[in-house]
Amino acid sequence: MVRFFVYGIPVLLVALLVASFLTVASFSADRKNEITIGSIGEPTKLNPIQSAEASASQVESFLFESLLTYDQDLEIAPQLASSYTLSQTTTVYFRGPTGAFAALSYVKAARDSWAEWGLRDARAEGTRLYLEFDQPGLAASEKIFSLFNPASTLPLTTLRVETGGDARAVFQAFRDAEPDRPIERVWFDYNAAFEITVPGDGLQMVEDLKAFLEARGNTAKVDVVDTRPFLAEPLVDFRLRDDVRWHDGVPFTSKDVVFTYHAIMDETVASPRKPDFDLIQHIETPDPHRVLVTYRKPYSPALNSWMIPLLPAHILEGKPVKWWEDHFNRKPVGTGPFKFGHWKTNESLRLVPNEDYYLGRPWLDGVVFRLLPDPITMRLAFMTRQIDYWGVDPWAVKGIREDPRFTLFSYPSNAYSYVGWNLRNPLFQDLQVRRAFAHAVNVPQMIKYILYGNGVQSTGIFPPHFWFSNPDIKPLPYDPGEAKRLLDEAGWVPGPDGIRVKDGKRLSFTLITNQANEVRKDIATLVQDNLRSIGVEVKVEIYEWAVFITRFINKLEFDATVLGWTTPPDYDAYQVWHSSQSNPEQLNFVGYNNPEVDKLLVQIRQEYDPERIRQLAGEIQRIIYEDQPYLFLFVPNSTTVIWKDSLRICRPDDKGGWIDTPVEVTKAGWAYYMQWFYRPEFADRLPANREVRP
Amino acid sequence: MITFIIRRLLISVVLVFLISLISFFIITLTPGSPYPWGELNPKISQAVKDNYRKQFHLDEPIWNQYWYNMRGLFTGELRSIKDGRPVLERIGERLPATVSLNVCAIAISLSFGLLIGVYSARKSGQWQDTSLSTLCFTFLALPEFWVTYLLIIGLTNWVAIPLTGTVSHGILFPNEGARLLDRLWHLFLPAVMLALGGIAGQSRYVRASMLETLREDYIRTAQAKGLHPDKIFYRHALRNSLRPVITGIGSLLPALIGGAVIIETIFAYPGIGRLGYQAVLERDYPTLVALNFITAVLVLLGNLLADVLYAVVDPRVRLE
Repeated sequence: MVRFFVYGIPVLLVALLVASFLTVASFSADRKNEITIGSIGEPTKLNPIQSAEASASQVESFLFESLLTYDQDLEIAPQLASSYTLSQTTTVYFRGPTGAFAALSYVKAARDSWAEWGLRDARAEGTRLYLEFDQPGLAASEKIFSLFNPASTLPLTTLRVETGGDARAVFQAFRDAEPDRPIERVWFDYNAAFEITVPGDGLQMVEDLKAFLEARGNTAKVDVVDTRPFLAEPLVDFRLRDDVRWHDGVPFTSKDVVFTYHAIMDETVASPRKPDFDLIQHIETPDPHRVLVTYRKPYSPALNSWMIPLLPAHILEGKPVKWWEDHFNRKPVGTGPFKFGHWKTNESLRLVPNEDYYLGRPWLDGVVFRLLPDPITMRLAFMTRQIDYWGVDPWAVKGIREDPRFTLFSYPSNAYSYVGWNLRNPLFQDLQVRRAFAHAVNVPQMIKYILYGNGVQSTGIFPPHFWFSNPDIKPLPYDPGEAKRLLDEAGWVPGPDGIRVKDGKRLSFTLITNQANEVRKDIATLVQDNLRSIGVEVKVEIYEWAVFITRFINKLEFDATVLGWTTPPDYDAYQVWHSSQSNPEQLNFVGYNNPEVDKLLVQIRQEYDPERIRQLAGEIQRIIYEDQPYLFLFVPNSTTVIWKDSLRICRPDDKGGWIDTPVEVTKAGWAYYMQWFYRPEFADRLPANREVRP
Repeated sequence: MITFIIRRLLISVVLVFLISLISFFIITLTPGSPYPWGELNPKISQAVKDNYRKQFHLDEPIWNQYWYNMRGLFTGELRSIKDGRPVLERIGERLPATVSLNVCAIAISLSFGLLIGVYSARKSGQWQDTSLSTLCFTFLALPEFWVTYLLIIGLTNWVAIPLTGTVSHGILFPNEGARLLDRLWHLFLPAVMLALGGIAGQSRYVRASMLETLREDYIRTAQAKGLHPDKIFYRHALRNSLRPVITGIGSLLPALIGGAVIIETIFAYPGIGRLGYQAVLERDYPTLVALNFITAVLVLLGNLLADVLYAVVDPRVRLE
């Protein structure tokens, strides 16, 4: 009996191990018709308006769709919208009806210029003059406004009332108490504040509002946020596809668009996407396949916000967020080419094809996401064909590129790495010192030894492959001689221990970065070494992410930091560079402040013309690069590898036919057509009339 | 014995409360606070952040936070800061994988530890004993993750066999039997790696205990009676030297749901170790509170069980 325990059980265990090994080894050749994707992090919830992390977006891109999307060239294209048009109504307020009437006659007299202005229609109603434009923007409205007698017009003032709660009730009470007040627009920021727009200078209104609130014992803050000569309200008119159904069979309509907007604006949802939608005045749905979105002012990046994946109103409307967490966020319903299948937490997540997809059923029988938290395991999983592709670490690219078994895709990523100088620190306030550091750090060497050549030197805040990036910026060259000269000139002279000194202060600072990112650690080491050679002492400190962000960056308590931005191809850099965004927890944590850039950042948001946007973006990028608030390092490449010929694409073309191509890199990456991937061994289910391109 | 158990349970309740209090203060006073939005996200406004803090009571005094967490834990309403799901559900869904892995690892380390220990004792002083001892000390000294990487890189290069997760993906299996063996294969590898250190330690333990027993007077008596050496060895010596092994089982109770972060990460195994590790990195206080609480309860129960087993196995011990 005891002998059996001692000898029998180990023998039994070894036998089972050998049997299972032989089983698995003998069946690994038969592949299913699905692709398996390795992911280093797990989505927290599959609800696109509640989550913002990359691991969730990757899964959501198969399940959900949005009104607009980026096409293969990273340009905006319709998805659930079949088309969209932009226009704008500009409203000018006058002191009396005669002023409005006179203004209308000026406009009518200038009929020849209507085409140039993009003016479609003009009409006067009471004291208001309405101008209808084909394109949003301020330029044309300003030109027409200059024709009028300024004394006859009334400016508009926007007031913000921070009630801290009950904003709707407070506003309604004010309305009821004084129904004759001219309030042109009202907008609620959660239920915590409201903004009203009134004709005139609004100062009287501020006083009256304050008195009204005080009488009610309310300590709300009232501020003037904006004064404008006229109201310019852009309108986006979306026509929706009428052949789209949710995964449960219910048709997709304009109700879903409106619901998604209201959900984002709901404080119990706490959507991180809300700021994108703050400029919407209201949304109307004249019929189930049309959505009219009116904006409070011209703001061209707003169109990008409609790439927000839409949620099904018929499932979520009227349900509390807790219900979403328990019944939707882990088994979502969308309109995309794949449906949610099964989720084994911390292990795998499976999607199945949407048989009724309006563009046709995908060729694959499944898409499986596998959570592989360890980079070496990820590589091994790829080598054993447990996952179909692998995002190659820079150090491994060379070996993989030369291996004939694989196909490699390498292209610049939408990201850049930098060293940010805390400009509140007197040391970094001197431009000459920042430029000296930029000359002293050998970026080409960094690209060679940290990225193994897989990247390009950064020329500022936009990666070079973005359409609005400025191609004329030349990176500051590596030149330690020049760096030393600049420091000498700035008054920093070598001290007894080789470290430079000025006014008895040593040229020394602490460079921090976050743990679990080898590239950033290596950058910190090279910066330390490069700066040491010109007589600068750098102390490197590394913290785990939660401490790094909440203790140092958010509190603005750091000297310098190694970080990176991942950015969508969006020219709106306001949050990172505008001087108003440099408070604790905001993203201009280096404290950059250049009034000229501030002005351009506001201006580019109001610009709709691509040529003007390109000019303004180039100008912003040039000025910031010259100011060197960051030491701009490099734009790394994204590199992905698949087994040769293991996947192809068969996608619909514009004419209702099909195109069959190998997997290729587009501007939007190699995976742009992933929903149309197929395995060549299952090619028999493809349509016969497809156009095959070898 | 009943009164002993009741008294110990009552003391444990007080202890668990104290442990939860101290551990809560340690985890909330650690530098850094929750940041559930991943990398820096330019679109997240202050209003969104404030709203989020309010939802999870992060803006309140630490005593209130402790109260909310403990109340939530007992009503089952405690939700993770990370994904808004009930923490008990998050822990519960990992239990099957964790428990099966740990049961398997414990079984391997006990059975092989016993085998090697007994064999070494049998061949004490001969070359088999010396080489096994060297091997055991080597495995005790080598870092677990390094051995694991060597093993899986070797397996991948020679036989290209899937080894991560709990099942193979993208492969067609002909029948349920093959599927079951596939699961076993994915369970065995991490279990063996987890058990390596245990085997080495356990076998030293058994060997020492065996050799000590073999020197006892009653063994000499048995030899003098002319009993067959096998019978002396297995019936008289082995049974008595197993007492420390059996009582040690009690202290294995918390290990049943214990996590092994490194092995779980390398094998992408969905165990509790990674849940706890992620929760620490993300400062997911509710999940940590629940995990600490459960671990504390199991440790205290395990100690109690060890004491009781001791009395059961060894009639000379009485519990008062």
